[in-house]
Amino acid sequence: MKRLAVPLAVTLMFSFTLAQTFTWPNAWSANTPEEAVTGGTLRSYSLSDPRTFNPFVSAEQNDVVDAANLTTLITQGPDSDAFLPYMAESFTVSDDGLVVTLNVREGMRWSDGEDITAADFFFTYTAETDEAVGSNGYDSWFINGQPIVGELVDEYTLRFTFPEPDRTALPVMAISPAPDHILGEIYREGGAEALKAAWGTDSDVSETVWATPFVPVSFTPGQRIVFERNPYFAEWNEDEAGNGLPYLDRYTVTIVESVDAALNLYLAGELDSFAPPTVDALGVINQAIVNGELDATLLPNQSPVASSQFITFNWNKASDPFKESLFRDARFRQAMSHLVDREAIIDLVYGGSAAPMWSNVYQVYDYWVDPDVPKFPYDPERAVELLEELGFTELYDNGVRANADGDAISFTLATNAGNTQREEIAIIFADAARAVGVEVDVQAVDFNLLVDQLLSTGDDRPFDAILIGLQGGNRVYPFGPNVIPCDTNLHMYNQSGACLDDLEQTAEDLYFEGRATLDTEAARDIGYDIQRALAELQAQIYTVSPLAHYSWLSSVRGEHPEGMINAAVGARQLPLTYKVD
Amino acid sequence: MFAYVVRRFLNLVPTFIGATILAFLVAQLVPGDFLQQRALEPNVRPETIERLRQQFGLDLPWTVQYIRWFGSLLQGDLGLSFSSNQPVTNLIAAPIRNSMVLVIMSIVLLYVMAVPLGVYTAVRQYSLADQSISALAYFGLAIPNFFFAQILILGLFTLRTFTRETFGYNELLLPVAQMTSSNALDWPWYRQAWDVFVHALMPTFVIATSGIAGFTRVLRAQMIEYLSSDFIRTARAKGLGERSVTYKHALRPAVIPFVAGIGGLLPVLIGGAGLVEVVVSWPGITPTLLEAISRQDIYVVLGLVVVTTFLLMIGNLLSDLLLSVVDPRIRYD
Repeated sequence: MKRLAVPLAVTLMFSFTLAQTFTWPNAWSANTPEEAVTGGTLRSYSLSDPRTFNPFVSAEQNDVVDAANLTTLITQGPDSDAFLPYMAESFTVSDDGLVVTLNVREGMRWSDGEDITAADFFFTYTAETDEAVGSNGYDSWFINGQPIVGELVDEYTLRFTFPEPDRTALPVMAISPAPDHILGEIYREGGAEALKAAWGTDSDVSETVWATPFVPVSFTPGQRIVFERNPYFAEWNEDEAGNGLPYLDRYTVTIVESVDAALNLYLAGELDSFAPPTVDALGVINQAIVNGELDATLLPNQSPVASSQFITFNWNKASDPFKESLFRDARFRQAMSHLVDREAIIDLVYGGSAAPMWSNVYQVYDYWVDPDVPKFPYDPERAVELLEELGFTELYDNGVRANADGDAISFTLATNAGNTQREEIAIIFADAARAVGVEVDVQAVDFNLLVDQLLSTGDDRPFDAILIGLQGGNRVYPFGPNVIPCDTNLHMYNQSGACLDDLEQTAEDLYFEGRATLDTEAARDIGYDIQRALAELQAQIYTVSPLAHYSWLSSVRGEHPEGMINAAVGARQLPLTYKVD
Repeated sequence: MFAYVVRRFLNLVPTFIGATILAFLVAQLVPGDFLQQRALEPNVRPETIERLRQQFGLDLPWTVQYIRWFGSLLQGDLGLSFSSNQPVTNLIAAPIRNSMVLVIMSIVLLYVMAVPLGVYTAVRQYSLADQSISALAYFGLAIPNFFFAQILILGLFTLRTFTRETFGYNELLLPVAQMTSSNALDWPWYRQAWDVFVHALMPTFVIATSGIAGFTRVLRAQMIEYLSSDFIRTARAKGLGERSVTYKHALRPAVIPFVAGIGGLLPVLIGGAGLVEVVVSWPGITPTLLEAISRQDIYVVLGLVVVTTFLLMIGNLLSDLLLSVVDPRIRYD
């Protein structure tokens, strides 16, 4: 993907000043403003009901409310990782990187006609940092345990002071406002409990208030949410020809119980777009298009998805010193990586629709992925060499490899039951391992049990190896704050509380150095070094990353231009989407 | 009779409490809790998970959690859903209502189809029609509903291919998923009701199929038994017409077990239509229950268990009472 990678440093150094209206760039759409048609309904789907319409009640991720929360102080476009001022007319970052001042755009209005001011953003900050509210955003307001302090300077100015320079802090400024004149009043009068009780799914959604391009007007549980165009959004959002956005009049989200049901609705012409999750679904849609039953666009294999899958070994096995020393040896883990037949996994498990994964950074964040990261591809002969270096030269009658002391290489590989793809990956690995004398007992266990094992701490944890995945993260610094530092809870292979390997320590040091580096290119170079250290370590043996596919009816236009569609930014910007007859 | 009903009600109390304890215990036996899945999010701190666990009361012993929950239940409160912070009562009302649409329609279809078929196959025993209906009945009994639904969906798409190629008509004969059309909100209420009815037709047919199959086979056997009894021979000897013999004398005793079973329909009514709801994305009880189980939103699960258990017990009581009404040999005093 060709990137317009504006270094973040530049973004940070200068103050932006735009007109009161935000102009959506032509470059974000495959169509020109002149081609756009106004009116019409876009029909989308969601795999579950919204849990709430309250932006603060979010004990878990909520896709529907997230989709509605497109309006934030600063934002990232689909073509660049740099932050743009959006609901902020401009923002400045102090030279030491510790103070961010945001000037809220004047003239914006809520869907009930009230003015959107800095007080709305400050209320969001206040409620999110209240422990009693229990918002999903709570953790993001802390850097290494120290709070980010917000200040309401005047009606249209906010200031946030950071405890230390941190490049992961800027995404926190992408604040989506909550209406202070409604939810703020409730909070001030009734406290956290009253705030949490507001705007549940049992309330009249047409009375909720939004800043978004579409506002919910009706919600029927299990069936549908209907959003209608927010007329006030068009007052400060326009295309390059000066037309108010969004183009569409209505946006509906049909609730479906399964992806198969969504596919059926798409094939029946009841939905305008569908993201085929598997090669099978891809084939069905392709067949329908070829047969002339579906007039649609199909874009297969657009990019790897934003998640990872890996095998990790347990370094804390005091009750089994042999396994503990084996699992702590990088040569053993590199040998195991040489036994992961990624091409076979891609062909057999994903029908060819996946890409090998070598680094801890999701491949979709291609700006950050080190192209020269050390690789340990499928090579059973090299695996045997490494195992022999470790002294495993004996082969028993049962085909299991052992050392001179009679210690055989045998371990259990657990993965979560019900995830058939992971179960298949584990079996392909076990077969390859068995062929060179490594006995792998594959176990599918309950997901929560697996997580319990993985998150257990101390010097004797109850598993050998686990195949699991992670998702989450961002394009600003795609290294998990809970994953790389040695004393964090998702540092899965070593939960002793301290680094045990020099490379592990190196990765941790580099991680913090990169976080404190505001210059994007410099941070990326450090990111490359982190990836190299972790690849040599092979503490997490990455397998493959499935590819994302997209499809939409031919009547839907305004998608991202070719090459800009990927799993990180999606297929389109909702305000620039339109439909033709 | 009144004393019997009061006694039965009193007996229901410990049964109900026992059932709720068992359900609560089973929910607690599952490893982890509602917050476990968040523990794997790279940006969520462990102390946040712990704090939320305390806010939800998930750090308390299960006995304390149960007593708190049961105390609320006595006041008619089924608790709060963890994931939405909404009262469970609100969350389960719509799925129960939606499931009842399917279940009532399928029960009507069941009786309308099964009674005539059962009588016909008994009267025309071993005829070609009897053999064919019996074969279809076995097919209906054998095929799982969720699979049958998928076959019908495939059939509808295949039919669309045929109509498109033959007549240039590229629309589906019946909807294949959901309960309403995407633009239903713009329609008047009667068209919306028709829309729901049309969406319900295919799943209704699927759900009713296995019931029709079983019902027809049992009714056929009952009818054959009664048609060869002495009192039928006597009725025929008195010169009664065959229609009167069949429908007045043989059918009445033959349907007694089904009439008595009507009480059992109460829990079925809210028990939902099973996995068919998932296949056709019908927003009923089964998808709600499955989602709540997978999220470990235990109070939603328990809410559905409580309502189902309560109706099951009331249904059983009603069945027993109905038995005494339709069968004079049974008396409870």
